Amino acid sequence: MSEPREIQAHQPVIINEPVLLVPGQEIREPTLIWSKVIIFVMLALITMGMINLYSAAMGTSLFWSQLKNLFIALTSFAVCAWLIPPRHYNTYAYWFFGFVCFLLILVEVIGGISMGAQRWLKVGPIMFQPSELAKIAVAMVVAKFFHTSRLARPYTLQDLAPLATIIGVAFLLIFAQPDFGTAGVCALIAACQLGFIRINAKSVGIVAATVLVLLVIAWFFVLHDYQKLRVLNLINPDMDRSGTGYNALQSFIAIGSGKFLGKGFLEGTQTQLQFLPARHTDFIFSVFAEEHGFLGATILFGLFITLIYMGLAIAKQGKDIFSALLAVGMTSIIFVSFMINTAMVLGLFPVVGVPLPFFSYGGTAMIMFCTSLGILVAIERESLDLFRKTSSMNMGGSAVKKPA
Amino acid sequence: MKKMFRAPHLMIESRFFVASVIVVGAILALWLRVWHLQIYRGDYYRRVSENNRIRKIEIPAPRGVLFDAYGKTILGNTPSSDLVITPQYMKDKDKTFDVLAQLLHRPRQTYDRKYKQARSQPRFMPITLQRNLTQHEISIIESNRLFLPGVEVRTTARREYDLDVSPHMLGYLGEVNPSLLKQLNAKNRGNPYNIGDLVGKQGLEARLESYLRGKRGYKLIQVDAFGRASDTQRDDWQLPAVGAQAGANVELTLDLELQKAVTRAFSGKNGAVIVMDPRSGAVLALTSQPAWDPYIYQKGMTHEEFRALSLDPLHPFLDKTTGGEYPPGSTYKAVVALAALQEKVVNAGSSYFCNGSFSLGNQTFGCHKKEGHGYVNLRTALMQSCDVYFYHIGIDLGVDRIAKYAKALGLGSKLGFNLNMERPGLVPTSAWKLAVHKEPWATGETPPISIGQGYNLTTPLQMASLYAALGTKGQIWKPFLVRRISNSFGQVIEERQPQLLRTTDAISPENYTLVRRGLEAVVNDEEGTGKKAKVEGITVAGKTGSVQVVNLKKNKNQSDVSVLWKEHAMFASFAPSENPEVVVAVISEHDDTGGGGASAAPVAGKILNAYFELKKKRAFVALGASVPNQPASDPAAPKPVKTKLNQPKKRAERPVMNRGAAYE
Repeated sequence: MSEPREIQAHQPVIINEPVLLVPGQEIREPTLIWSKVIIFVMLALITMGMINLYSAAMGTSLFWSQLKNLFIALTSFAVCAWLIPPRHYNTYAYWFFGFVCFLLILVEVIGGISMGAQRWLKVGPIMFQPSELAKIAVAMVVAKFFHTSRLARPYTLQDLAPLATIIGVAFLLIFAQPDFGTAGVCALIAACQLGFIRINAKSVGIVAATVLVLLVIAWFFVLHDYQKLRVLNLINPDMDRSGTGYNALQSFIAIGSGKFLGKGFLEGTQTQLQFLPARHTDFIFSVFAEEHGFLGATILFGLFITLIYMGLAIAKQGKDIFSALLAVGMTSIIFVSFMINTAMVLGLFPVVGVPLPFFSYGGTAMIMFCTSLGILVAIERESLDLFRKTSSMNMGGSAVKKPA
Repeated sequence: MKKMFRAPHLMIESRFFVASVIVVGAILALWLRVWHLQIYRGDYYRRVSENNRIRKIEIPAPRGVLFDAYGKTILGNTPSSDLVITPQYMKDKDKTFDVLAQLLHRPRQTYDRKYKQARSQPRFMPITLQRNLTQHEISIIESNRLFLPGVEVRTTARREYDLDVSPHMLGYLGEVNPSLLKQLNAKNRGNPYNIGDLVGKQGLEARLESYLRGKRGYKLIQVDAFGRASDTQRDDWQLPAVGAQAGANVELTLDLELQKAVTRAFSGKNGAVIVMDPRSGAVLALTSQPAWDPYIYQKGMTHEEFRALSLDPLHPFLDKTTGGEYPPGSTYKAVVALAALQEKVVNAGSSYFCNGSFSLGNQTFGCHKKEGHGYVNLRTALMQSCDVYFYHIGIDLGVDRIAKYAKALGLGSKLGFNLNMERPGLVPTSAWKLAVHKEPWATGETPPISIGQGYNLTTPLQMASLYAALGTKGQIWKPFLVRRISNSFGQVIEERQPQLLRTTDAISPENYTLVRRGLEAVVNDEEGTGKKAKVEGITVAGKTGSVQVVNLKKNKNQSDVSVLWKEHAMFASFAPSENPEVVVAVISEHDDTGGGGASAAPVAGKILNAYFELKKKRAFVALGASVPNQPASDPAAPKPVKTKLNQPKKRAERPVMNRGAAYE
């Protein structure tokens, strides 16, 4: 790996302004405004998601197993938000990324196969998808990269080559499963983060052109037939009504038939009578829209938009580049997943396996989304310098033993 | 003011604004799409989703039942299983049909054809692919339902025929063809036919179609994505249903037991038999032979079977009772005799000498008895069917005067029976000859006319009607078969009354009596030609007839000619002769046992015998029925004689009510 040419020493910015300990005076704690909203919105979304999953699961054990996953996810959220200061991610970002890559290779070797793709890793009773972890890992690596290799001038393609190589490895490993959806989400997360970096316009042009060429090549040589059909169905869902177009069509019917107020909880006929495919995973939004209508969908959109806006706000007041970029990455995990899933369900994007955050069934995804929100909360807490305070109040364990 | 963006210059602060705009814009776009689907097109998709889950199941109406005059079922229903497919739920047509063809060992084309016929109807409407599945076939289909989306086995009613009843009269059911469908549905807007529905194609099934078909109902059921009916126990998913309305039941004038006797008596013969009540025109029994197996249409007739039936020289498809036109032969002599008496050409005592032949100019007309009958008067001429006597009076009368009386007695025109293409027959006149053959009447053509040969044509129905008129001194009733039509609840919709067409008063009652005496002698005299029709204790009046089919040399040995060249044997009669209550006309085509006296008269005899036996039996049953539960020894038991008169009426009403209940 070639080192960037101009390296500035890592200078963590230490801010000592808000807390003044004057005897006899009240301690004015800086308040976690964004994080409180995030927690509220997350809990609201999780509640809605679980209720909706109960309907989509139609009495099967999926709901209860997701409840277990939720427990783990909320624990993970709390740990990330309160116990692990983001600077540790900075320290161990590459290690974490390496570990995820190792898991991805492990999946290739010993992974479980479901629905024609090798995505699962089984450790004892736990089954999980390392590709979901890769989303966080990619975001961390991007943040870390720009934190360590700072340039005064706009980045060029050459400067970004090491980063591209690292992310490319993860991308290809996920792509090989094959899980085009997750691989794409990883790439998009990185792209979102890069969007906040000053990059040479020429380089952007070259990359855009290359991506275009790659897409064309992929269309003709890489994509499977079923993937191509999914794209073609986008243009005309009536093309193959009973085959690949069936999913999209039934999804439209489910969403559309919800009308303004929806058919009511457990009353969605498209869902309850199993017309809707992949009800509890990819097409969970259709279930929600069918049973809760336009009103429910609007509330859901509002909650997501709030969540994303909070994430951006946290990123904006991030303590350092790493924190800011990591916050952008965490936000974009939610944003990209939400966008791709709803666009797909609404027939604006090809059908790819991207879960709707907090709604779709899936343990690893749930944990991953909660964790990313936890990291966002941690970043805000760090920006308000609350980790040092908690350490002084002897709250944490190893995470706070090493003050920066 | 505190700078919000604290990260160093590496990141561009303005990008946060851009990012917010992108996020809001993108989510707004999705939100608009949701609005488009749920609000703008919400009604459409709600409808589509209802179509997805709700399947309309049609409940076929049981077809109306035909009963005889005594409440016995002539034509009923029995359950049968049909293979139907609903195109809406079919995934892959070719695959489905291939699998079906393999499972049921049928050529695939039959399914394709049925499917193609139904192209125009909506996709949710089921198409019947095959009828009358066997138990084995049903189990095969049911066990492979998973691979056959859209295919089901439905139970429908199938006609159950009484094999003793003429299928010509009952008719048969066939699938409605597209052109007829359009025509029928133009008339039946409220109750349309579907492709594959059965309609009456002949006989009473066709004539009473609008009464018999009923009105089908439907129920809505909820199905899941795999076409399986889901539970609709939840109140909010209760769906409406409308029950089927059974077709109207029809009570005929037919007497099933007499009909069975007719079939028995006529078995092995070809032709037609009609038994009528001369006092009302009610048809009591009829048959037309040869016929077809009524079940052949249900099974689906093969091309070979159809060819065999349609090419049969004995015309099994023809209803000979109304559509078969035969020269009346000697049975016509009664008409000629009446004409001669009324026109005073002869009287009861005048006689002619028969030496076995009659000469007119250079033509010679033989009598059926070569040796001649000697001196014959009206009575002996009828009794022995002397041709020469009738040649004489025929020449004296002339063709037009014979025709006048023949027409007055109902020949030569339709009687309005209105079943299966009734034919008018033919009574030749000189005017008719001139109009049709463009030739004047030749006197030499009159002698054959006067013995019922030549141009003369009558249908068996006309023959029966003629003898009814002879027996009732000129009353011509419109023959009828349907007495009462009552809907499925037992309410009478229509009741048909006997209709007297006219009373032929051109002939005086004395002359009727004279001819009737002659006809009585035919059966009852030792020398009568029709003595085989005699019935113990009843005076039967009748007339035999033997009709040459081709102009063979008279008295040529009948056993030497081909079956189709053999004579038609006829016998027409009424009994009891003084006050007739039954008239029987028998026409046995190409009979190889002999002429009217040898082969048709015994048939009529058996039928008349059966009629009077049945009458006796019924009178006895009616007598006994009034004391059904009383012990015979009970001296206090009321005398049954009182209720005897009321009994037939009661009997006619009760079955109607029961029927209504049975079909609700």
